[in-house]
Amino acid sequence: MSILLNSNSRIMVQGITGRHGRFHSMRMINNGTPIVGGTSPGKGGDWCFEGNLPIFDTVRDCKEATNADVSVLFVPPHSAADAIIEAIDSKIKTIISITGSIPVHDMMQVKAALKESDSLLIGPNSPGVLVPGIANAGVFPDGIGFSGSVGVVSRSGTLCYEVLDTLKKANIGVSTAVGIGDDPISGVDFQTCLELFEADPHTEKIVMIGGPGGVSELTAAGYIMEHITKPVISYLVGESLAASILRPLFSHSGDLVLDSVGKKADALIDAGVLLANKLEEIPALLLR
Amino acid sequence: MKLQEYQAKSLLRTAGIPIPASMLASNAVQVKRIASEIGYPVLLKAQTLETGRGKAGGVRLVQSEGDIENVTNEVFRLVFDAQPVQSILVEKAFTFSKEYYLGIRTDLDQGCPVLRVSEAGGATFLEPESFLNARIVEQPVDINRGLKAFEIRNLLTNVDIDPSLWKQFISIALKLYNIYRQKDASLTEVNSLVVTHQQQLFALDAKIDIDSGALYRQDEFIDAYDPAYFGWIERQALKYDVNYLRFPGELGCVVNGMGLAYLTLDQLITMKSLPAAIIDIHGGASITSIASSLEILFRNAQVQALMINIFGGMTNCEVVADGLISSATNNQQKKPVFIRLKGTNDATAIERLKNYENLRFFDTTESLTQAALEYLKERQA
Repeated sequence: MSILLNSNSRIMVQGITGRHGRFHSMRMINNGTPIVGGTSPGKGGDWCFEGNLPIFDTVRDCKEATNADVSVLFVPPHSAADAIIEAIDSKIKTIISITGSIPVHDMMQVKAALKESDSLLIGPNSPGVLVPGIANAGVFPDGIGFSGSVGVVSRSGTLCYEVLDTLKKANIGVSTAVGIGDDPISGVDFQTCLELFEADPHTEKIVMIGGPGGVSELTAAGYIMEHITKPVISYLVGESLAASILRPLFSHSGDLVLDSVGKKADALIDAGVLLANKLEEIPALLLR
Repeated sequence: MKLQEYQAKSLLRTAGIPIPASMLASNAVQVKRIASEIGYPVLLKAQTLETGRGKAGGVRLVQSEGDIENVTNEVFRLVFDAQPVQSILVEKAFTFSKEYYLGIRTDLDQGCPVLRVSEAGGATFLEPESFLNARIVEQPVDINRGLKAFEIRNLLTNVDIDPSLWKQFISIALKLYNIYRQKDASLTEVNSLVVTHQQQLFALDAKIDIDSGALYRQDEFIDAYDPAYFGWIERQALKYDVNYLRFPGELGCVVNGMGLAYLTLDQLITMKSLPAAIIDIHGGASITSIASSLEILFRNAQVQALMINIFGGMTNCEVVADGLISSATNNQQKKPVFIRLKGTNDATAIERLKNYENLRFFDTTESLTQAALEYLKERQA
C-alpha cells in the first residue's frame, strides 16, 4: 500500500516542543497521523496536547515506552545531526529530517553513522513522507492528496506539493509521496525510493521530480534502465539555467551546473522515462 | 563563503604550514614599504575572489624598487566583478624546482572529505586540458577516523615526488586537513605547493571556502566578510537567512524553496522575460524574515512589481500574510503585488489580507506568472 510507512507505523517527533515541532505535531495529530510520543530534552515526564501525548528526554526512552519505529525531526539545525545519530543509535527505522541547512561537516558524520546501520534517513530539508489516508509524517499541506497507485518522489518540497496538487485536480491518487530534500548531502536518494516503489505492490507508476545540482537523477537514470519495470514520469526544473541570457549572470558557477538539467533530461529519456515539460502534462503522461 | 587569499594564508600560518613572507597593503605607499622590508624580488597579488586572477594581470613579479610604483598602479587599476582591487598582498618571490597541487574538498555525492594530490600544480590546474592530462590521485577520508599519515603516503607512492620530501608533505597535508575540519571548510586547497632549491616545501597560494551553514560556530569569519564585496541587499539577505538571486529584469519574486525559484525562472525565461530578483525565504520563515525580504524588493528601484508565490507546507501562510502586512508601509511607490498563497492555513491567511491594498490573488503558479508579466508589458506600452 505504501513505502517507508504503513498502517502499523508508530511515529514519534524529535523536538516536539519547539516552534515548528509543536505547530506541525498538532497538525499531524489533527489529520490523523499516528503519533505515539515525542522528545524534548529536560521535559521528559511531561505531557503535551491536552495530556494526550507523552514527552521523553531521549529517543531511547521514547522508543522503549512507545515502540516507535519512525521519527519526524524538527530539531534546530545546530543540534540536528546529533538528534539524527541519536535516532540511528536507537535503531529507529525511518528517520525524517524536516530540519534543513545542517552544517555539512555534521552531515558527513551522519552519513558515516548511516552506513553502519539499518536506518533510512529522509532529508534533511524534507517535507516528509505522505501516505494518504494513513499518515502525513511531516509538513505536507493538509488534504493535498488521496489514496491511489502513483508513487511520487521529489527533491524539492514545494514542487512536490505542486505535483500532488496537479494530480489531485486530475483525480489521480497517490500511494506514497516522499520528499528527499535538496540539501548538499542527504540520506536516501532517488534510487532508494525507486527501488522501494518497484517492490511495493500497490504502486503502479512513479513520478520523479528533480532539478539542477548533484548527480542523483543521473544515478537514478542508470538504475531505471537496469531495474525498474514500472513506468516512470519525470519532471525537471531549472532547464532555463542553460539559457544564453542567463550565462553571463552565472559565469562563476561554471558550465557543469548550468548544463546539468539538460544532461539529466537526456539520461532519463535514454532510460525510457517520460519527461513532462510542464506540471500540467504529468496527469496525461500518467494516464497514457 | 570564500576567503580572500590573505585570510586563507593567515590560517595556514597559524597552523604552521610554511608560506612565503607576506603582508597586506591597501595603497601604493604601503606596497613600497612592505616590499623593501621583505626584500626584492616580490610578487604583487591582487586580493579578489574571482578566478582567473593571474591571467587578468592580478599577479605581478617585481624585480626591483625601480618598477614597483608602475606595477602597483596597474594592479590597483584592475577591476574584478565590477569591484576595483582594494588590497594587494605583497609577497616574497623565489624560484622553485617543482610544484604540486594539494587539496581537501567535501565530496557531496560520497558525503565525505576527499584528499587530492596532483603533479600539475599552478594556475593551469583549473584549465580543462591540463586537468585531463594531469595525474590526479585521490583518497576519500573517513570523517570519524580522520586523515591518517599512511593514507597520504599511499597517494605519494603514485606521485613523482622525492621520498625525502614525504615527511614535509605529510605534515602539511595533515595540518591542512585540521584546518578543513576545525573551520568547517568545504575546500582547503594549496595550489601550488612548491619545492625550493633548498628542498623545502612552501604553500604559494591558498584557497579556503567555509560552509556558510556553519558560520554560527565560526564567527571569526563573519567579520572576515569583505564589506566592500557586499552591498546592503546581500547583508540584509545574510542577516535574515534568505537566499537572494539577482537578475536584470523588473519583477521582484518571493518564493518558498529553491524548487519554486527554478520553476519561476523557467517560466519567465519561456515567456522571454527575466526577474529583477528571486528571494527564497526557505521553509518555516519568520514574520521578520518575510517582511525584510519584501522591504528589499519594495526599496529596490529596479523592481516594478512583486510576485509572491508560496505553497506552504512547513511555511505557515498566516506568517507570510503577517509579514506582508508589517512591511506594507515600505511600499511607498505602491508597487502592485501579485500573490498566490496556497497550503498550510491558506484560507485564514487570505482572510487576513482582505484589506491590504495593491494585492491580486491567483491560484496557480502559471496564472500568477502570466498576470504579473502582462502587467509589466502593459506598463511598458
